[in-house]
Amino acid sequence: MLDDGLSPMAGGTDLLVPGRKAAGRGVALLEGLPGLDGVAMTAQGLRLGALASLAALERHPVIRERLPVLAQAIACLGSPLIRNMGTMGGNLVTASPAGDTLPALLVLEAVVELASRDGRRHLPVAEFLLGPGRTALGPGEIVAAVRIALPPPGASQHFEKVGRRDALAIAVASLAALIVRDEAGRVVEARLAVGSLAPTARRCPSAEAALPGRRLDREALLEAGRRIRDEISPKGDLRATAAYRREMAGRLPLRLLTLA
Amino acid sequence: MDADRDKGASPGAPRVDALDKACGRQRYAADETPPGCLLAGVKRAGIPHGRIVRLDTAAARAVPGVVTVLTRADVPGTNRQGIVHKDQPVLCGQRVRHHGDPVALVVAENKDALAAGLAAVEVAFEALPAVFDPEEALSPNAPLVHPDREGGNLLAHGLMEKGDAESALAGCDVVVAGRFATPAQDHVSLEPPNGLARLAPSGRLTMVVSTQAPFRDRFEIAQALGLDPQRIRIRAPYLGGGFGGKDGATVQCLLALAALRLPGRWIKMAWSREETFLAGYKRHAAVMDIRLGARADGTLEAIACAMCFDAGPYAHLSGEIMELGMEHAGGPYRIPHVRIEGSCAYTNNPVGGAFRGFGVVQACFAVERAMDMLARRLGRAPESLRLQNALRPGETSAVGVAAEPGTDVAACLNAALAHPLWTGREAWKQAAPAFTRRGVGLVAVQNAMGYGRGLPDHATAKLELTRQGTFRLYNSVPDMGQGNAAAFVAMAAQALGQPEAAVACVQPDTAACPPAGSSSASRTVYTFGNALLRACRTMAEKLRNRAALALLCDTPDRLVLTPGGVSDPATGRFVPLSVLAGFLIRDDRICIDQFVMPVVENPPDTGREFKLGFPHRYFTYGACLCGVEADELTGRVRLVQCLLTVACGKVFTLAGVEQQLAGAAAQGAGLALFEELALEGGRIRAGDLSTYLIPTSLDLPDIDCLPLPDDEPSGPLGIKGMGEVGIHGPGPAVAQALFDAVGLDAASLPITPEVVLAALEELTP
Amino acid sequence: MNEPMDIAFRLNGRPVELTTDPGRRAIDVLREDFGLTAAKEGCGSGECGACAVLVDGTARLSCLMLAAQLHGRDLTTAEGLGRPDAPHPIQTAFAVHGAVQCGYCTPGMTIAAAELLARDPAPDREAARRALSGNLCRCTGYVKIVDAVLAAGAALRGEES
Ligand SMILES: Cc1cc2nc3c(=O)[nH]c(=O)nc-3n(C[C@H](O)[C@H](O)[C@H](O)COP(=O)(O)OP(=O)(O)OC[C@H]3O[C@@H](n4cnc5c(N)ncnc54)[C@H](O)[C@@H]3O)c2cc1C
Ligand code: FES
Ligand code: FES
Repeated sequence: MLDDGLSPMAGGTDLLVPGRKAAGRGVALLEGLPGLDGVAMTAQGLRLGALASLAALERHPVIRERLPVLAQAIACLGSPLIRNMGTMGGNLVTASPAGDTLPALLVLEAVVELASRDGRRHLPVAEFLLGPGRTALGPGEIVAAVRIALPPPGASQHFEKVGRRDALAIAVASLAALIVRDEAGRVVEARLAVGSLAPTARRCPSAEAALPGRRLDREALLEAGRRIRDEISPKGDLRATAAYRREMAGRLPLRLLTLA
Repeated sequence: MDADRDKGASPGAPRVDALDKACGRQRYAADETPPGCLLAGVKRAGIPHGRIVRLDTAAARAVPGVVTVLTRADVPGTNRQGIVHKDQPVLCGQRVRHHGDPVALVVAENKDALAAGLAAVEVAFEALPAVFDPEEALSPNAPLVHPDREGGNLLAHGLMEKGDAESALAGCDVVVAGRFATPAQDHVSLEPPNGLARLAPSGRLTMVVSTQAPFRDRFEIAQALGLDPQRIRIRAPYLGGGFGGKDGATVQCLLALAALRLPGRWIKMAWSREETFLAGYKRHAAVMDIRLGARADGTLEAIACAMCFDAGPYAHLSGEIMELGMEHAGGPYRIPHVRIEGSCAYTNNPVGGAFRGFGVVQACFAVERAMDMLARRLGRAPESLRLQNALRPGETSAVGVAAEPGTDVAACLNAALAHPLWTGREAWKQAAPAFTRRGVGLVAVQNAMGYGRGLPDHATAKLELTRQGTFRLYNSVPDMGQGNAAAFVAMAAQALGQPEAAVACVQPDTAACPPAGSSSASRTVYTFGNALLRACRTMAEKLRNRAALALLCDTPDRLVLTPGGVSDPATGRFVPLSVLAGFLIRDDRICIDQFVMPVVENPPDTGREFKLGFPHRYFTYGACLCGVEADELTGRVRLVQCLLTVACGKVFTLAGVEQQLAGAAAQGAGLALFEELALEGGRIRAGDLSTYLIPTSLDLPDIDCLPLPDDEPSGPLGIKGMGEVGIHGPGPAVAQALFDAVGLDAASLPITPEVVLAALEELTP
Repeated sequence: MNEPMDIAFRLNGRPVELTTDPGRRAIDVLREDFGLTAAKEGCGSGECGACAVLVDGTARLSCLMLAAQLHGRDLTTAEGLGRPDAPHPIQTAFAVHGAVQCGYCTPGMTIAAAELLARDPAPDREAARRALSGNLCRCTGYVKIVDAVLAAGAALRGEES
């Protein structure tokens, strides 16, 4: 898809920031390549073009309606100006532990569509993210789209980002949740993912396993929080200490009490 | 004239500068780039303290596009800059004393060459032991920042004493003691420091600089570089913010040096945001130990306070800032026995300098927090203790100065107490949503106006009647955004009976405008405004007299200036200003007048050591209410209510007062909740806007401003300065509100979620 | 340095062309090559919004855009919204409502406001605050800026404010 040595550029909100990766190096604008833009409904669900701006995704009616966890995650990413320029593909490939869309994509079990001159392949987001700033993107390969199967309409979705201010804040911690409950309010399936608490955004399988069969009461959620704490390996930085992050891991699930 | 005092500017008329700015047409210093302009940049130390053992510029000079590379050896003159004490090198020759110290100046044809040139400057240091804590810096074994200096790291020290604080404290029914700290703060003016310079063949140096003090800059540059100040011309266009950060040399001496070495070329220097963090001045971090004593009935008896300021490696205005802090350490309260000790220490941290509310922000946080502690110990409501002790007109302040007549701090508190945000606070707190705790805090604030005794707070205003019969006023005090230029236009228009459109305003230019002090210290509109109104009066009288000749009127006093001319109400006759102007030679069309702010007439001997800047006569008072929400799960705090009541003399324009108060409060809120440089070994870790967080539009509430009826007879149209008073409240008011909300007793700023969470833990185990 | 590239786009309503290094920043092209200095550099890294311009109606940061990205676009700077003698209603509202202090953030603010009001002609204060949350202002505390955006909305809807 691309010539060697050039960095593909979508919105440029990571690439062009001075001091980051390729500032000044050769870039190849992805803009205008066919098949990378827009949101399409398919038989399997939604296909979000890698180049669709975050702002367009945030406002997309189907995303707002059916993928609120993603809409919420996008709504707190950077600022409106950043969202006008930044893309989902860029957020994925940047693979920051604090990438805001990533926990949401993880609980939605989104699949990354990769394209190169040799063709296309698909990888679950969890397998795409390898480490901080590292992805499974091969040489000459680009992200073409993200595919998301629509969750059942009754599933509760939730996203919370803890930042130091209410806009333009890199996440100190974040939690995405997708919970399916039966009529009695008991959890059938729980998917939880966290951001900024480990080298990559990640699912929390042990915490997820604590919830099925229970109601989302304080006890259950504290238990989930305890388990998340055991699953993560937060670091301290300018924005928060490791101890505070661990504390967030334990507490953030309690917000699910407000899910009706 | 007296009727005018009650008018204020015409309501609703926008500031004269507003539309040009909104349309992107205003040209700031940063927008000037003459053709062929060279770019200058600075190689900075990058270590906190060290000896320069090698400085090799050969490789940098060899970079294509690099025009010259200058070092200490190229600096004529003293190489020392500074506002009062000259101790800051233009370029360091032997020793660097903080991360941002300049070691070489590179001039290049374009950005890429400049960057490459800077990268190619080779400099090696021998690291020297450094000191980062101001109190440690004062201990006998601390590394010395200026080794040869008598007095070591103690840059300044002072005492203000009234009565006998120690004995009085011993006799108090209750004494509370606390140690409080406020952090360094960056101004984050949206336009970083920048400017241009060119040395003309005539030997005249012309500069355009984003500066708050163009007149003083000339002397600073002249001294540092061995030049004649009269040969330096500086223009200060509208500034994209200043707040103190452009008071004192930033780019000036470096640019002038480059211009001297490259005669005939325009040279531009524009600091990046990161360089501004690294090299720019900061609000002084301070530590304050307070003991505050009262009788059982709440009457304040005594305060003992020791303030220690972190000056960084150079003096800037540290001594003056310390003085002002000390003068405010007793708060706007009646306290008979006072002992305030101040010290300022040299360290290897970033350079401390002027910042809106300097010294006072620190003092106010400490004394207001101490008042809260005392209230709690006495079982009193914080606001009632403040009201009981509020300083009234005629009573002597903590440092022994009689408070001037006028609306006082008690009135400010009472106005806040009557406000729905206060009266409705219990219901509001009860209505807190899930996981949210609410609290409300109310504190009292004050801020002195002007330079204080000993430093003439002066301004000279020049007003010209143009040949066309319009007016041109020469603003001598830079407008960094506070709107003084527009206020001057409005004042002159009103005093001359003309529409604002008939009054043009020349921005500060040392070649065209008479000298005035800096744009700072809540003094700008007061001091220059008075000078201007005097010039307007003289002009009006002159025009009436000249018109009398044309109108054959033997009682010129009955004539009035009306738009475009002078009229005789008795006869209905009118002579246009354009006609009058045609008869006058230029010298006759100009009126110049001056004003010096009155000072305390019989200064008390409480601060006798302070020759300059003590005491102040006029104070602006206020009260600040903050309502906060703390999130129980994260400890995140949101400021959701903010009210400022102030007594700042007459209100000239309500919008102008609100702009200053809300803007100042926003900076105070930033200091309270977000802003932190995260210093580590003298290095700023939060040195860009992604890590040094100032409030966004989502982080602030609709700040309510309520100026109270007041009058300052000595002020132009009855006004007092009010550019700073709004910044003090949010820190202590948010702290008090958080005690209300979650029982947190914060002793330092900013208050982080982590600290709040710890307090919440104690509430809900 | 890259090979110079021919770049053609619309700038404030007029077609323009230039040949330049496609890797230069758009903000530099506007300020240096076209002398349009309304877009200000407050940070150069996307954090302040002072450099915002409208690109095909969307507010974007010209400090994080390359010259190459201008090709074929329709660009509006604050100079193109209106002039002091014929201001855009947003510019008028900013002036009248006291939303301009030092004014360095103002051009970027008006650009963000223009995009907002095109999309949502009657925003409430919260929506206005959200829309402006990528534009830092150090002078105002934002209150009057929000007032101005709402008033501009009313003016654009033809209502009295
Ligand atoms: C001020 C500011 C605030 C920010 N705040 C946040 C925040 O709160 N949360 C957050 O998560 N992020 C934040 N970011 C980071 C950034 O905006 C996001 O990561 C954004 O999604 C990046 O998208 P982009 O299109 O701009 O990426 P680009 O900058 O164009 O690219 C980023 C990286 O991805 C690669 N890339 C981009 N698209 C593709 C593709 N389709 N295929 C292969 N590789 C590709 C590029 O080569 C580059 O390595 C912020 C950035 C700024 C400047
Ligand atoms: S200069 Fe572009 S966002 Fe600050
Ligand atoms: S008006 Fe100065 S930054 Fe907004």
